[in-house]
Amino acid sequence: MNHEIPVQNIGPQGEVMAHAVDACVHCGFCLPACPTYALLGDEMDSPRGRIVLMKEVLEGELALADAAPHLDRCLGCQACVSACPSGVPYGELITSFRGWSEPHRERSPLDRAKRAAILKILPAPKVFSLAARAGQYTKPLAPLLPAALRAPLDLLPERVPAMQPSPRVTPARGRRIGRVAFLAGCAQQALAPNFNAATLRVLARNGIEVVIPEGQGCCGAAALHTGARDEALRLVRQNLAAFDPDEYDAILSNAAGCGAGLKEYPVVLHGLPDEEQARAFAAKVQDISEFLAGLLRQGDLEPPMPTSRPLTVAYHDACHLAHAQKIRLAPRELLRAIPGVTVAEVPEGDLCCGSAGTYNLEQPALANELGVRKAGNILSTTPDLVVSGNIGCHTQIQSHVRRQGSRVPVMHTVELLDLAYRGEL
Amino acid sequence: MTPEKVALTTTSPAPKPRSNGKADNALAAELTRLLGPKKVLSNLSERLNYRYDAIQFGATPLAVVLPESTADVVTAVRAARAAGVPVVGRGAASGLSGGAAPTSPGLVISFTRMTRLDIFPERREARAQAGVVTLAVTEKAKPHGLIYPPDPASFRTSTIGGNLGENAGGPLCFKYGVSGDYVKGLEFVDADGGVHELTRDAYDLAGLLIGSEGTLGLITEATLRLTPPPKYTRTLMASFPEVGACAEAVSAAIAAGAVPGKLEFMDQACTNAVEDFLAIGLPREAGAVLLVDTDGDDLGTVEEERALVEAACLNAGGTVRRAATDSESAALWQARRSVSPALGRIRPQRMNEDIVVPRSALPEVVREIRALGDASGLPLVQFGHIGDGNLHPNILFDPRRESPEAVHDLAHQIALVAIRHGGVLSGEHGIGTMKRAFMRDAVDPVTLGALRDVKRALDPTGTLNPGKILPDEDGTHAHP
Repeated sequence: MNHEIPVQNIGPQGEVMAHAVDACVHCGFCLPACPTYALLGDEMDSPRGRIVLMKEVLEGELALADAAPHLDRCLGCQACVSACPSGVPYGELITSFRGWSEPHRERSPLDRAKRAAILKILPAPKVFSLAARAGQYTKPLAPLLPAALRAPLDLLPERVPAMQPSPRVTPARGRRIGRVAFLAGCAQQALAPNFNAATLRVLARNGIEVVIPEGQGCCGAAALHTGARDEALRLVRQNLAAFDPDEYDAILSNAAGCGAGLKEYPVVLHGLPDEEQARAFAAKVQDISEFLAGLLRQGDLEPPMPTSRPLTVAYHDACHLAHAQKIRLAPRELLRAIPGVTVAEVPEGDLCCGSAGTYNLEQPALANELGVRKAGNILSTTPDLVVSGNIGCHTQIQSHVRRQGSRVPVMHTVELLDLAYRGEL
Repeated sequence: MTPEKVALTTTSPAPKPRSNGKADNALAAELTRLLGPKKVLSNLSERLNYRYDAIQFGATPLAVVLPESTADVVTAVRAARAAGVPVVGRGAASGLSGGAAPTSPGLVISFTRMTRLDIFPERREARAQAGVVTLAVTEKAKPHGLIYPPDPASFRTSTIGGNLGENAGGPLCFKYGVSGDYVKGLEFVDADGGVHELTRDAYDLAGLLIGSEGTLGLITEATLRLTPPPKYTRTLMASFPEVGACAEAVSAAIAAGAVPGKLEFMDQACTNAVEDFLAIGLPREAGAVLLVDTDGDDLGTVEEERALVEAACLNAGGTVRRAATDSESAALWQARRSVSPALGRIRPQRMNEDIVVPRSALPEVVREIRALGDASGLPLVQFGHIGDGNLHPNILFDPRRESPEAVHDLAHQIALVAIRHGGVLSGEHGIGTMKRAFMRDAVDPVTLGALRDVKRALDPTGTLNPGKILPDEDGTHAHP
């Protein structure tokens, strides 16, 4: 696609966007990969269509308000990136576009307040935990509330667990073979504190010392992907100051969305003075499954205990692992390393579950349709357990399989490994 | 190829758009009144997305209709006719000749919501509405032990209506034929809004509609022939130091009696573009790579045919690798399917040829085309269904770096090579706007006159997909 985007007026992010627009040959290979195209079946709600809309807005041919409804419906799942033979960096395009366009958006006061609240509450674990527990008591009132308020309540687990503070340093057990830094995450600490507890236990058991550097904050992905670029830049820089990549063998995340966010730092800072620093940082970032599978391949992973009976585990590929970070094999290798576990592939596995960061709150109807479809596909494999590597997917899948009447346990890859080590499977 | 645009020179980061997005034309309003708002797209943000296919951007339509039934198509065609504007049919717009890109503002009818599909296993037939995705036919037929063989590279995206409009082929075409070979009958809407049901009996009017690129009628439904899949398939990949040697191996293998299911080649630039995407270990250093499937119900014959192809490849100086597993051969075929869009990694735009030449002439033709490309200085790649003699020389370019005239001239020279060797301009992608200018070289004036008469008989007002296939009568060569 040949563009006339006035890059000089937009700055470094303009270059990122112009490059992506240029790379698209509008072949349409992305259409069958796109969840909103699957649901809505029109060109404007496909990746190819959205690229054209962004191009037209940037070139001044189309009003932002006219394109916005279609761009807002994009989940940012990046399934189109996996499907694209031309190598269009669609994720970089939509993220940059949202950052560029947000200051020009006309939003209602209510919309503004809602977005501000999300961006204040989500990245602050203590506030989130408080809000979640308050929400838990409001849950019985949910049917009486308008859809916009009902959506977040629907997703809350029946019981919001108490916060578990994580130690700043977790020493390695036995011989120490490595030292890593860990991003503790935000909402996840409130909704599923055991993800972090299990992560620390599994790493320590395998001889890895884990440091949770002080001063770290939210990865910034939520702010970035909703267009709050200034806020995102603040968070990115806060983390760059907190994590010194030279001190660690790796910087780990156990949430696919956060890990992808950390790996995106060089794009966020493209053309800015701290771009190099971001590059050094991102080079060290790994998902927990990637890191543990690395140990497994080197023969450094302690073998898990066999399960007491054969278990079918439905593995759900989080979009931010499979599409954004290209990690598909590592979690499957870890699951298969547990004797007695069979990994079931979920039909339509590449289709987003509908969680997608704040999508559940901003596009509840589409998110719900995708959640129903995903839960149905997962349950069709008649699994004993469901495993994913992302807190957003976890919440969405758990809530939808429960609504379809199933009590199947839903857990994180590392939780399963932790249970296997303890002989509790 | 992209419509001309003026770069903005303002300093404001949010340029003021030239449109507030609303359609201000009577056609959109009338269609909305007749069909309701859900089936009609009239905002600019919606219409902008129905002006392109996978090769070209055209004019922004005045309105887009997403019909759910043949009756909706009739209503839309009649409204467009009353308004005196052209009508362009569109499937998934993955076409490669500009066929679905409007040449002037009018009505686009996009068939993506007409997706009814019924399988009749006892008759080995499928009845599909135009918007059914190609792959879906095989997926739904498979539980009954049947498949739909036409397999264009875009089969996950493209629709049956679009496939028939372009008479699309695919790797299986060497042994199993192209889309048109699987049509038992079809329903179409003519330029007046009349509905016709055609079979292949008496006058083969269905054959006339197939490959007519929506210029004679709009195909709304088709009855398709299904077949049982072959019991055994064996895959091999051969690599050659040079593209002509690859063509020699193909000619020799076929002359020796092999009838492979698929016979595809790609040159070095293609292989490397795909390897950048898939990273499956394709031989980056080879001048050309050949992919071959031999298939059938008798394993002995299938293996024997593979041995024949192997011997021909070795004789021509190639190296042969057999695919050991099903997933290995699936990866190789995905590689071949991804060639076309992967070329975008080299240059953002391309002039895509679709010539077919006699197999005996293959080695000479691919070498001549390679030499033309080298002499031009433009990036030129070749791939295609070489077993059929169907080659896709692609000229890759960036309009800001390479001159469109040079691209057009090279494309014209390539077309002339094909014609000189007794070949034709299109095997499966259609003529569209891309090869329209070469039609006078390829088709004699009397035959061209007959084609114009057919067009006039079925579409006297020139409403259906104007500016495609047939060159202008006044003799000017319209550049695409």
